[in-house]
Amino acid sequence: MSVQNPAASKSELTLVSRETQVKEWLLAALFFSCAFVAVLGVALIFAFVGWKAWPILGEVGFGDFLFGTVWAPSDGSFGILALIQGSFVVTLGALALGTPLAVGTAVFLSEIATPRIRSFVRPAVELLAGIPSVVYGFFGVVLLRPLIGELTGSVGFGPLTAWIVLAIMIVPTIAALSEDALRSIPMGIREASYAMGATQWQTIYKVVVPAAKIGIIDAIILGMGRAIGETMAVLMLVGNAPQFFAGVGEPVSTLTSQIVMDMGYSTGTHRTALFGMAAILFVISMALVLMVRLLSRLRD
Amino acid sequence: MDKRITNNIAVAVLWVAAGITVAVLGAIIIYVFVNGVRVLSPAFIFTWPHGVNSEGGVWPTIVSTLYVTILSMLICTPVAVLAAVYLAEYAHQGRIVSIIRFAADSLASVPSIVMGLFGFALFVEAMGFGLSMLSASLALSLLMLPIVMRATEEAIRSVPRYIRWGSYGMGATKWQTVSKVVLPAAAPRVITGIVLATGRAVGETAVVFYTMGQAIWLPISPLESGRPMTVHLYLLAVEGINLPAAYGTALLLMLMILGFNLSARWILKRYRKV
Amino acid sequence: MYSLVAGFLVCVGLLSGCSSGHDSTTQLIVTGSTTILPIAEQAAEGYQKANPGTSVLVSGQGSSAGIEAVMTGTSEIGSSSRDLKPEEEGKGLVDTPIAFDGIAVIVNPSNPISGLTVEQLRAIFSGEVSNWKQLGGEDRDIDLVNRDEASGTREAFKKIVMTDDAKFDRSAVVLPGTGQVRDVVARAPGAIGYISVGFVAPRFGSLPVKALPVDGVEPTKATVTSKKYPIARTLHFFTKGEPTGLTAKFIEYVLSDKVQQGVVVDAGFVPVSDRDGR
Repeated sequence: MSVQNPAASKSELTLVSRETQVKEWLLAALFFSCAFVAVLGVALIFAFVGWKAWPILGEVGFGDFLFGTVWAPSDGSFGILALIQGSFVVTLGALALGTPLAVGTAVFLSEIATPRIRSFVRPAVELLAGIPSVVYGFFGVVLLRPLIGELTGSVGFGPLTAWIVLAIMIVPTIAALSEDALRSIPMGIREASYAMGATQWQTIYKVVVPAAKIGIIDAIILGMGRAIGETMAVLMLVGNAPQFFAGVGEPVSTLTSQIVMDMGYSTGTHRTALFGMAAILFVISMALVLMVRLLSRLRD
Repeated sequence: MDKRITNNIAVAVLWVAAGITVAVLGAIIIYVFVNGVRVLSPAFIFTWPHGVNSEGGVWPTIVSTLYVTILSMLICTPVAVLAAVYLAEYAHQGRIVSIIRFAADSLASVPSIVMGLFGFALFVEAMGFGLSMLSASLALSLLMLPIVMRATEEAIRSVPRYIRWGSYGMGATKWQTVSKVVLPAAAPRVITGIVLATGRAVGETAVVFYTMGQAIWLPISPLESGRPMTVHLYLLAVEGINLPAAYGTALLLMLMILGFNLSARWILKRYRKV
Repeated sequence: MYSLVAGFLVCVGLLSGCSSGHDSTTQLIVTGSTTILPIAEQAAEGYQKANPGTSVLVSGQGSSAGIEAVMTGTSEIGSSSRDLKPEEEGKGLVDTPIAFDGIAVIVNPSNPISGLTVEQLRAIFSGEVSNWKQLGGEDRDIDLVNRDEASGTREAFKKIVMTDDAKFDRSAVVLPGTGQVRDVVARAPGAIGYISVGFVAPRFGSLPVKALPVDGVEPTKATVTSKKYPIARTLHFFTKGEPTGLTAKFIEYVLSDKVQQGVVVDAGFVPVSDRDGR
């Protein structure tokens, strides 16, 4: 393809007209700018949320905002530590409940299920992922909350209810991604294991799962991202009391749910604080994506 | 002997895990269906909510949802497809590409409430579009962008190399090859990606809550407000006065998303065989 | 191709948006209280039917949001279920009362308690009293159910009940809607909450709740109208300056007998005309 004879001028050797070349170049530039929209989008989110949140550093101060224990905007107290704790309590509990179920389902799909069963279960998992979070929240509020209320003898709002519903919500994310990771493990590895007399289960937990470990961890991290950013379902189930975790049946509040509760009427510093909470959520989600990237670099 | 028992127990546990997952899906669908189907009727779908308890139908919310979804699809698709073309056909692996990929991954994982506040700050307030279809569509299309981008890029990459060589061999330029050969071959999977992303947009709540408003209104111009089905369901659920209507809305929403999922599957199946 | 279509659509949208835009002679925006939402929505529907070509857009984002919206000019009418706060006064807002409302204190029907005083309510909602036994009831923990701060119902309850700098107990469940408060109290034996008098009676098959007499007065329309019931409030429409044009016509419509004796009564509120002694 390259020009061999340095004496010949380039234009004599090109197959297409200059006009076509320019057109091709312009198109390439257009495609690049489209691809750059993603970068632009992230930059804009960062800039706008950051810009709206920035004054909080002056009005409240970084330490008092992040580590203040009392969230009482009407009294001028803007500490979000309890909300951050609430977010993590809700997320980690959901992960603890959902991960075994999700990874179990993934292993079942890739290692045990016959093609026919798989062709039924895998779409079901994907459908679960497609159900809107507000429907999950509604389901939790009308069915699960009264049930848990009856069992615990209280009102039924709190981490326990949120854990169960959130776990259901993150199972499809983790299961689908974990299954992809498991399926990318070459068949030969399994055959070698069986050839050495290992049972199916020994092959799974000694060979296949360790080989797909990083892919599964990726899936769990992304599931965590989904759980920590989940808004509507959490809002409808946690009880929204901005206090520290006091028990699985006691209401808590999270970053996301508090933003929705307050956004409608907030003004001034209060609104700035809400954007500050959004900025923190954004940073957390970016950090999780970064973690996945670093892990995949580790794998390569 | 011992290891066979362990094996059987472990396999049984995995069966149970998958069983629970499917059972939960079944439970949610059956619960919403049984409670929702009682109120579902042409009148429920095609009339306006009225009365102090949102009796009657949900027609304006269906229209608002479809309006905002289609508009965001129209905004997102060209950008996402061309971006994927760049990544798959034009880009050289390097720093810029890895930045673009990181940005797309980040965009895909932005919590929807953050996207909602961002849309509110940028489109509603700074750009002055107000609580409107346009503001909501722009925010939603940012959310859909990485999904369509990834689906398209995978689709393009799955088109065999030799088809391109054939095209180049006949003297076609790069763009001619991409537009006349590669994209048509990748089309079914691209469309599947778009349909799935659209399904995601239909179910989105927090984003539209802060960008579209909640006026019960049949939107005509993109600068008008409206109330999508998800927000309607949320309001019915927390106000909790008219639960039958909430069940009906939830069922409609799930049917709509089921429809999107099934049609995506159908497109893939139909064209894969050809 | 797609991009052209999309670009074209956006352009058309922008143009049509700019030209039709927000025309205050044919379009009116009402923002604010979720309590007033049913009245405002119904009135808007009726008004649009009677006056084709006009549109009244109603949204409920809380009383404070409504007052903010009318001050910044994004809405013509801000509906509010609370009075103006000191810092909101003197900014040219004109108040038109459109209805009265009593706030009922509700408990589970299985709760034997037969009435509370405002002082007892204050002790309960500030967390000083945490067991029904301390109030002469059975030995059971009190589950507090509060409303969110955007709620005008909470604001009114706070103003009337939580006096003397009493603060709401921060461990109380906070719910964003009347219906949820009602549903929770209807199911949890130890729960207590507060909602508009109009929402106490069950509708659409929801479970019953028990409204308690406060200071010995049952919350009924008669006691709210006669101001005997202590926890009552006024529902307002705020406008920036005296209402004119479409805004004035719409308010006039809301104050007409058709709406007052129809929608307002249906929604469980007390018409303004009743208290005026008509």
